[in-house]
Amino acid sequence: MDEDPVPGEDNGFELLHLALSDLRREIRSRSSARCETRGSEKIAAEFDWQRAFDELRHRLGTFGMVERSGDVDEFGMDDVSLARSRTLLDFLMDRYWRVEVQGFDAIESGRPNLLVANRSGLLPYDGVMLSHAIERWHPLHRRPRFLVADWLITLPFAQPYLARLGGVRACRENADRLLRTGHSVIAFPEGVKGAAKVFAERYRLKRFGRGGVIRAAVENRVPLVPVGIVGAEEAHPILFKSGLPARALGLPFVPVTPTFPLLGPLGLLPLPTKWIISVGAPIPLDDLDVDSLDDELLLSRLTEELRGRIQELVSEALEQRASAWD
Amino acid sequence: MVSAVASQTQLPSERSSGVQKSANGPGCVALTGLNTFLGQRLAERLLSRPDAPRVVGIDLRYPLRLEGRIDFRRLDLTHPTADGELATILAEEQVESLVHLAFRSSPTADLEYDHELETLGSLHVLHACSAAKVQRLVVASSTMLYGPDPTNPNFLTEERPLAGHPDAHCIRNRVETEELLSQWVPRHPDVEVCVLRHCWVMGPSYVDHVVRYFERPVVPVVLGYDPLLQFIHEDDLLRVFEKATLEAHPGVYNVVGRGVLPLSTLLALAGKRRLALPSRWLYRMANISSQGQLGDLPAGFFDYLRHLWIADGERGWQAFGEPVYTTKEAWVSFVASRRMERFR
Repeated sequence: MDEDPVPGEDNGFELLHLALSDLRREIRSRSSARCETRGSEKIAAEFDWQRAFDELRHRLGTFGMVERSGDVDEFGMDDVSLARSRTLLDFLMDRYWRVEVQGFDAIESGRPNLLVANRSGLLPYDGVMLSHAIERWHPLHRRPRFLVADWLITLPFAQPYLARLGGVRACRENADRLLRTGHSVIAFPEGVKGAAKVFAERYRLKRFGRGGVIRAAVENRVPLVPVGIVGAEEAHPILFKSGLPARALGLPFVPVTPTFPLLGPLGLLPLPTKWIISVGAPIPLDDLDVDSLDDELLLSRLTEELRGRIQELVSEALEQRASAWD
Repeated sequence: MVSAVASQTQLPSERSSGVQKSANGPGCVALTGLNTFLGQRLAERLLSRPDAPRVVGIDLRYPLRLEGRIDFRRLDLTHPTADGELATILAEEQVESLVHLAFRSSPTADLEYDHELETLGSLHVLHACSAAKVQRLVVASSTMLYGPDPTNPNFLTEERPLAGHPDAHCIRNRVETEELLSQWVPRHPDVEVCVLRHCWVMGPSYVDHVVRYFERPVVPVVLGYDPLLQFIHEDDLLRVFEKATLEAHPGVYNVVGRGVLPLSTLLALAGKRRLALPSRWLYRMANISSQGQLGDLPAGFFDYLRHLWIADGERGWQAFGEPVYTTKEAWVSFVASRRMERFR
């Protein structure tokens, strides 16, 4: 502390340091009588206030920049936050839900795919897990983007994280743009009806939208791949839905799970169920062109066929699983 | 002696006859709203070209920095006979392209005047254009007119209907302007109309209510939301306006920079503190400040910091060339220039 500052070098900081230590010594000598009686002087002497101050200033200066990069892609996905959350996602995948994947060869590499899956649970764990699984276990290197329903993308606090993890608002314009620019897309045509399924109706697929996925696949000439996800429904078993608080909060429904309102925010944690992600063969759409989709009956038949395929995948996966927990 | 004194005390507006008029080269360009940032800078850019066109500026006041370099004509666009007067000016000066920039850059509490200037002023400009047989009309607009909405797709194309914002009067007036324009354009196929919808502008010298909002050391943001934003650098914006003035680009174009960034990242890059407040408080704050002339944030401003309203600039990039600055670079240039000001 007592060495002289080197002349000619950048010693402004050194001088400040010396001045501060002088001041500290003076304060300590004046208050020594009181400190001795309390016996806390030893601690005060060992604690380096200067370093603590510098550390704090550095932390504040970089606050908010440590977990995100300066650049995001055009839909807001951030590679740095993804890399940071990879450990957590790997833990969820390998340890917590023990995700088992089947039939990933059906996903064509080298071109974008439109994956269609069954939706379940309030928060889009299924979308996150499916895109993470594909990035890990498939040569299709780019992470597929999952589509998220409107009400979830406008939910406070959820929206920033969803966008950074690769969630995109579900609409035709976004899906087309993603497929055009070479991203694979995961769609959940059940929408909010799928997310709001109660436990008694689990793994029974709801009506699919109005054929938007078929149109998107045909117009962009990409394979339409059905995917069944098993396990996500039990992760958030909805016993019943309550309407009144939902209207107050502006949500489509407020789920009542065995844990949720009871344990507060802790109840939002998903249960450690056993997951199976099963990918089926792509639906053949090559003989269709854009004009043939004007036939509404054909479109609804194709949509129903797709729903049937996903239902089959889900039922097969359910039979493989001994119980929801292992 | 008396006449000499009189000539010295002449208003700048009456001293326009001394300007050299280049006979050849591109035709005469007229700018309404000369006193705006865009008007002044665009006039300077046009004058600094080797084939500089003759520039006629139309506004209430003659900007000092352009004194003696352009022809200035004083005109109040809110006046009931402004259309006839403007038509006379355009015919007298033989104007080929008219750039309509007479819009307020920041919202005002004077809603009536705002409406008179932005909507009826534009109507007067349209009437004058059809009467004076102007070849080209360039109109400044904004991507804010698409309106922030949770149901917006991530990228809004030029075909997207202009929803505006239900609370913001300034936005509503400009949506009305664009509606008038879209009715007028099919009836006048001989006029090349170019509408340039630009997003928020950033740069060393541009100032409007958005820039003033971001200049605060502590920036209030909506709690729980982190929208993606895009900017255009002022130089890129001026380059696009210059090209649209001198070349034929009929149609509507979004003028935006490449790339998007979340608001939180922008503020972190600038080293600013975020003050996250519940949306209701912020909306009330914006309403009070816009009605009570306490600040210049328009009502509904915070919806633009809550939902998506990014525009797809592909058509504009193809017509006017690639912008030099990306969103991030425009933002950094703004931040860096404000930091330098402290040491000046």
